[in-house]
Amino acid sequence: MSFDVRLRVNDRVATIELKGELDASTAALFHQTVDKASKAGSIELVIKAEELTYMASAGLRSLVFARQKMGDEVRIAIVGASEPVARTIRMAGFDHSIDLIDA
Amino acid sequence: MAFDFGAVSAASASPAARRERPSRCVRLVPDPPPDTLRIPATIESLDEVAAFVLELGAEAGLPETALYRLRLAADELATNIVMHGYQDRTGEISVAGGIEEDRVWVRFEDDAEAFDPRQGMRPPALDVPLEEREIGGLGVYLAFTAVDSFDYELVSGRNVSTLVMNLPATG
Repeated sequence: MSFDVRLRVNDRVATIELKGELDASTAALFHQTVDKASKAGSIELVIKAEELTYMASAGLRSLVFARQKMGDEVRIAIVGASEPVARTIRMAGFDHSIDLIDA
Repeated sequence: MAFDFGAVSAASASPAARRERPSRCVRLVPDPPPDTLRIPATIESLDEVAAFVLELGAEAGLPETALYRLRLAADELATNIVMHGYQDRTGEISVAGGIEEDRVWVRFEDDAEAFDPRQGMRPPALDVPLEEREIGGLGVYLAFTAVDSFDYELVSGRNVSTLVMNLPATG
């Protein structure tokens, strides 16, 4: 399964770019990247999801991890999630603590 | 992949018929039918489940959103069987699928301990802050809410879960 994750940190904004399919077999990679991002001292975490074609509950697990690791004052935003990915995030009620932008 | 649904579709036409399926299966289809996938119960096998379901759903003409949801449900159910059914034990999962006039179904069978996945389902605790959430059971909840029906039966000691997605009515 094809999945790719990239992390960029600048101006205290950490940006994680997700590409492909995020499921139980690929979520570890996202998890590790969230962990790295949380150590960068950023005030905002932006998750770019325009090219994320699929997300299972394993991806939600990593988002909870992100919320726990980043601390209360850090804003987390998911940008450009497709309709079904955004639906999964809303079904789980995560949109109360994570901003869905352009979804 | 070629799909031959005749025998299995007939057997699943009604709940009563479905209960009779194992014995009828033995008589009608001595070898595993071509529309059944048998995979080791490992996370690495999830790709095969996804490919199987996506091909089946596409052949049935499921709209894109419904196809995504059926794949999500199948993926979560298979993940649940691997992680919570067999846990660290080795085992096998068989995945069968069929297309009927008005619906597509996918059936999972495994020999892990008897367990109705719906028992482990937990709707999200929306009143609890995200950082304090326990999210076990969320996958099955997503699966349950993604499809039109989700049935579980214990058949001769095997766990049998069936996901159904209705096909849009054609004029």
